[in-house]
Amino acid sequence: MPNGAIAGGRIDASQPAAAGETLLSLENISKEFPGVKALQGVHFNLRRGEVHAVCGENGAGKSTLMKIISGVYTPTSGRIVYKGTARSFASPLEAEALGIAIIHQELNLIPHLSVAENIYLAREPRRGFLVDRKALKANAQTCLDRLGVAIEPERRVRELSVAQCQMVEIAKALSLNAEVLIMDEPTSSLTEQETRLLFKVIHDLKASGVGIVYISHRLDEMAEIVDRVTVLRDGRYVATDDFAATNVDEIVSRMVGRSLEEKFPERTSRPTRDVILAARGLTRRGAFHDIDFELRRGEILGFAGLMDAGRTEVARAIFGADALDAGAITLEGRQLDIRSPRDAIAAGLAYLSEDRKAQGLAVKMPVDANMTLANMDEVSNRFGLIDFVKHAKAARHYIDLLSIKTPSASQPVRLLSGGNQQKIIIGKWLFRQSRVLIFDEPTRGIDVGAKFAIYQIMDELAAKGIGVILISSELPEVLGMTDRIAVFHQGRIAGVLETAATSQEEIMHYASGYGPAGSRD
Amino acid sequence: MTMTVATPPSPARGRLTDRQKDIVQKFAALGSLLVLIVVFSLTSNAFFTVNNGMTIALQVTSIALLGIGATCVIITGGIDLSVGSVLALSGVVAALAVKELGLAVPVAMMLGILTGAFCGLINGILVTRMRLPPFIATLGMMLIARGVALQITGARAVSGLGESFGVLGNGALFRIVTIGDDGFPTVVFPGIPYPVILMVVIALAVSLMLNRSVLGRHIYAVGSNAEAARLSGVNVAGVTRFTYVLSGSLAGLTGCVLMSRLVTAQPNEGVMYELDAIASAVIGGTSLIGGVGTMSGTFIGSFVIGILRNGLNMNGVSAFTQQIIIGLVILLTVWIDQLRNRR
Repeated sequence: MPNGAIAGGRIDASQPAAAGETLLSLENISKEFPGVKALQGVHFNLRRGEVHAVCGENGAGKSTLMKIISGVYTPTSGRIVYKGTARSFASPLEAEALGIAIIHQELNLIPHLSVAENIYLAREPRRGFLVDRKALKANAQTCLDRLGVAIEPERRVRELSVAQCQMVEIAKALSLNAEVLIMDEPTSSLTEQETRLLFKVIHDLKASGVGIVYISHRLDEMAEIVDRVTVLRDGRYVATDDFAATNVDEIVSRMVGRSLEEKFPERTSRPTRDVILAARGLTRRGAFHDIDFELRRGEILGFAGLMDAGRTEVARAIFGADALDAGAITLEGRQLDIRSPRDAIAAGLAYLSEDRKAQGLAVKMPVDANMTLANMDEVSNRFGLIDFVKHAKAARHYIDLLSIKTPSASQPVRLLSGGNQQKIIIGKWLFRQSRVLIFDEPTRGIDVGAKFAIYQIMDELAAKGIGVILISSELPEVLGMTDRIAVFHQGRIAGVLETAATSQEEIMHYASGYGPAGSRD
Repeated sequence: MTMTVATPPSPARGRLTDRQKDIVQKFAALGSLLVLIVVFSLTSNAFFTVNNGMTIALQVTSIALLGIGATCVIITGGIDLSVGSVLALSGVVAALAVKELGLAVPVAMMLGILTGAFCGLINGILVTRMRLPPFIATLGMMLIARGVALQITGARAVSGLGESFGVLGNGALFRIVTIGDDGFPTVVFPGIPYPVILMVVIALAVSLMLNRSVLGRHIYAVGSNAEAARLSGVNVAGVTRFTYVLSGSLAGLTGCVLMSRLVTAQPNEGVMYELDAIASAVIGGTSLIGGVGTMSGTFIGSFVIGILRNGLNMNGVSAFTQQIIIGLVILLTVWIDQLRNRR
């Protein structure tokens, strides 16, 4: 047991120091769980006023490291020095009291309480036994003003967008006088515009001397805010670099331990003229209007656009998850009458939702049960009893085909990584012999290596003649994988672009509602 | 504050697969069942006898039958509070059908079971179509069914049902009776009561349904993630309704069995039985969040409750103390379950 344990609440009265001073340093940190070495000899230090990114594939030890910094875990060995004093945080509360705050990927706000009540939860200003509502509102307003965001302190959190919730979390951290802020995948569900706002706030925080630990899978956007980057691989420390002195390719190759020539696989499929899926005049009031598009055999069609532009809504409606008010859908020349997901599945459509855990998987159930869930008829007899031989065979086939990493087919899917979970969902639809697969943000929260595998699978599906629609907010992904791109803006398709002849700028132009750029059609 | 105390639970602790955990849970429940049997055998001479064994089995049938239905409903993430009242209504309907309408006993009992199924169907429609929380929907049904049972009987017991009404509840298979030298009959083997046979057959059938059939798979899928199940083409509303109909039908059957045993239909029968049913499922490892539960677990759970009652009775423990002990057992088992699942 290290000697530097906390002596109840004594905080050194250090003056605000200059930017560049080391705020937090972790030396030779190891963390072992019975049978697993989660971290071995990891170094990490954070300076005042810098954004320090931690990169690594899923399972590289990022979360464990963050949990050690935020006091959830105590390291098995190694030293934590915070503001010049060796520390060991016994609990997240203790770390928080010392000025280390974490903003989780899944936001931890209470939807039914107001913004102000959330910021000061369990620390409400009081007047006797009662909450001092005036002071509560005023204090919250001050915090929000510091961030420069326009959110009413009295609004209910459930009325806010994800981006606004994040701002509230940051405001809460600031109200705790946080000097170290850990952000876990802060942009994963933000639109481009919201990301801009977040980055502006991050710049302001840097200027005020806060040190930010930044975790993200989106390496492309790091250049704008990140000062230094530390790479972890398999629980080991790889390197720390100034971001300016490195580049994305180098970071990626360090993360995966090999050089990744390409982020996207070579496309082998070629679009034909043969139309698989056609939509005419699809309308759902309040969500989208007059959506027309054609998906051709061998093609990957992208749906690009800002969040809430109607991409997911169109996909859900085609799949029968939400009702259409008007419009017609034809699959291989046949007009479909889809009233529920069951109809859509029977017709050969498949939708891989953006939220795997909430909508894609029965997480308590094992791999094989999830894989066969959409096609139980194939693995059961006419009495409705499951044929476990066929069942096991089907599961094994797709586990091998998609190289799903699982100890066994009976492993509950919640214990698998995001990439493998996504592959199980793909396997489910392949087993169903689906003719058209709609991927909604298929690589969100998935590590680089697994992303590549998912892209390869998409290409192979297209090559086999299966129609593939890719909904994605990551423009490089849309540009890297599709043949044509339908750009959505406020519930309409603003334009359909040939991928080979377009650019991020042009897509953004359409997505923000400016219509065709220049003379281009 | 010491570091040891503050060390958080490591996620690596208890690295058992769910299948292993399931087995551990079963053995834990089974183990406590055995402990109960040993303790009661030592404290009471009359406990460990064939006769008492059959008595316990008979007593357990109502808990187990209701527990089977409760388990299916709870696996989908629901709850059924109405079974105690529904069994009273069903039993009363069967009795009135015999007495007032002069129907044959099997037909009347079928009518009773259908009454239960109908109540279950209404529960299912309230939950799936009108989107009421299961707790509220079945709470309403609990009051309504009890009220109807009291109304149609004028709150009086229905008796004078004839001997044949008592066969289902009191008859037994393989009963061996010899006439002694003194001319009095001696019971060599009390036989296996019909309700016990019914319970075993139904438990096996539902177990087969849950583990081996597509419907069972869908029940687990709905409880594990209803939205994912819907987007995989599972008829979520249909599956959910089925579990309530099953629970209602089993409540109807239980009502017929209980009333038959007394050869009298009591509109006040079965008060709080729904809680025994839920308790047996929970002791057997069914998760109230849904997605988890087994027939074997519920079966053991209902025997734990039944044996506790019987054994405590034999040891002259008062009914009040019994309630306290059973309450503690429920808290203890679920707490152990929580400890085991903590990660």
